[in-house]
Amino acid sequence: MKNTMKNIAALFLIFVFSGSVVNAQGWTVPASAKKKQNPYEATSKNISSGKKIYNIQCKSCHGDPTMANMLPLAPVAPTDLGAQNFLIQSDGEIFYKVNKGQGAMPAFEKTISDEDKWMVIAFLRSFDKNKKVKQQVAEVKNPEVTDVKLELNVNEADKTMLAKLSGVTKKGKRVGLQGIEMSFLVKRSFGYLDVSGEDPYTNESGDVQIQFPKDLPGDREGQVNMLVKVTDDAFYGNLEEKRVVTLGVPTDPVNPLDERAMWGTRANAPIWIIVTFVGGVLAIWSVIFLVLFQMIKLPKLAKSKD
Amino acid sequence: MKEETSNNSRRKFLKSFGISVGAAGVVSSFSLIGAAKAAAKKPAEMVNLLTQDGQLVQVDKNQLRPTVNEPLDELQKRGREGIPGKSFVMVIDLSKCRNARKCMDACQNHHQLRADQHHINVLQMQDAEHTAPYFMPKPCQHCDNPPCTKVCPVDATFKRQDGIVLIDNERCIGCRFCIAACPYSARIFQWTEPKDAEKYKDLTYNIEANVPQKKGTVSKCLFSADRLREDKLPSCVSACPNGVYYFGDQNEDAVTNGTTGETVRFSKLIEENAGYTLMEELGTKPRVYYLPPKNRAFEFNGDLLNEENLH
Repeated sequence: MKNTMKNIAALFLIFVFSGSVVNAQGWTVPASAKKKQNPYEATSKNISSGKKIYNIQCKSCHGDPTMANMLPLAPVAPTDLGAQNFLIQSDGEIFYKVNKGQGAMPAFEKTISDEDKWMVIAFLRSFDKNKKVKQQVAEVKNPEVTDVKLELNVNEADKTMLAKLSGVTKKGKRVGLQGIEMSFLVKRSFGYLDVSGEDPYTNESGDVQIQFPKDLPGDREGQVNMLVKVTDDAFYGNLEEKRVVTLGVPTDPVNPLDERAMWGTRANAPIWIIVTFVGGVLAIWSVIFLVLFQMIKLPKLAKSKD
Repeated sequence: MKEETSNNSRRKFLKSFGISVGAAGVVSSFSLIGAAKAAAKKPAEMVNLLTQDGQLVQVDKNQLRPTVNEPLDELQKRGREGIPGKSFVMVIDLSKCRNARKCMDACQNHHQLRADQHHINVLQMQDAEHTAPYFMPKPCQHCDNPPCTKVCPVDATFKRQDGIVLIDNERCIGCRFCIAACPYSARIFQWTEPKDAEKYKDLTYNIEANVPQKKGTVSKCLFSADRLREDKLPSCVSACPNGVYYFGDQNEDAVTNGTTGETVRFSKLIEENAGYTLMEELGTKPRVYYLPPKNRAFEFNGDLLNEENLH
């Protein structure tokens, strides 16, 4: 029993190592590309926007960093991008690999902008134990708080929304939380439309104001379903607020069947077609009947002539 | 004299006819009552049934009636009406399509089609001798001025209020006028017994999915109307691994990418990427928009068929 366990463990180790060797050997990165440095600082802003992009573009295969919940693909499963043996690589190396792709890994050279890719790398670096200390410079200087609240103020006149994020400090004072990214999402049929704009981060007093798009359609009354939340739930958990607001442009859905058209079914045919058709049928039948009656009259005519 | 006798005989006949019909009626009504009484009196077998709130009850077996089984009418009715307030559109980004054909598989699976039957087909395109080739998925365009519905002699194909063009295979007589009328060759004809016909023969016909398919009728892309009713994206859209498809409601001015789940403004997407429709000169007003194959998402060296790592 012990032996079999050992064997299995050994096989597993061989498998793992051979996999990593193949990986390392099969993917050469030019020296010039390796030297590239991430031009963006590892601020909390950049890291959180990197996380957003990661969740959209990378997570479906690679899973969550450090969680090793990647898609089990054969023969080579996607790497855990939060693992230390992955983060040994330089920024430039990761950047190159994301750009070029290999095997099942797609090339993201043109699908993701360079800026976004660097954000993702900044996000991944935040899992790097060797560099983490350096990156803790992050600008969040928020005190430890409890009872975090998200308040929402809607100004319907100029279509703006103000979200206020605050928490209670240990001294019992309610303070605004600074530098936290918020998401302003509008519910649509198949997903949420992000209307947060360029800079949805809370200021010193915990406020963030966004301009709702002036031309976004709502329902008949202009109402839309809003979902406002803290983008990164790593800070204060899943904090969100749902609200129906009247900020959209009132839109009356047009029913194409209200109009009579050539393409309509029998019930929706244009009047002129119905009139022409019925008229035509009547005309033809009346001619036929006319002829028939004339023919019936013929023998009588012949008799009267006699 | 002669006339009298004939009169008599007619009367006789009517009399005897009336008596016999009346007697038959009385007898049959007696027998019905008798049968009913017998059924009521008989202590009959009791059946254990579980009610909806989880109680076990006993019911006289004679009281049992089969449930009214008419889901077909309901499906037909709502399938004809469509989903109020919606106006569905699709956007296909050609720069991302690399012929993975997952959309086709998902579609054929959903609509019980054989591998050679296409509601959506990925075509290899080359517009002119010196232009770059590209892959173009081509579903039904769900035109706002559909030529196919104009020619149908039996009202089997029609447009709904949410913009989707459907076919009622219960009505279709297989004349194939619509196939001839469609400039996009979006329609197919079931020449032979459809795939898995035996397996699905008891399935209630769903007009919003054209399943089960019927031999001798026309079938085509339906924007997965049955899935839209459940707020799900069409099969092809959610099956694409490369983010080619966007789908949404034009009334809301938003389309959602089936791969990334990202929702964007429809008007902006079309405007910023020079979106176009197929054969707009025909005035068919398609609901499927294409984004040109510019800045491809994959390495492209001009030869699509011999491209490596394309999928």
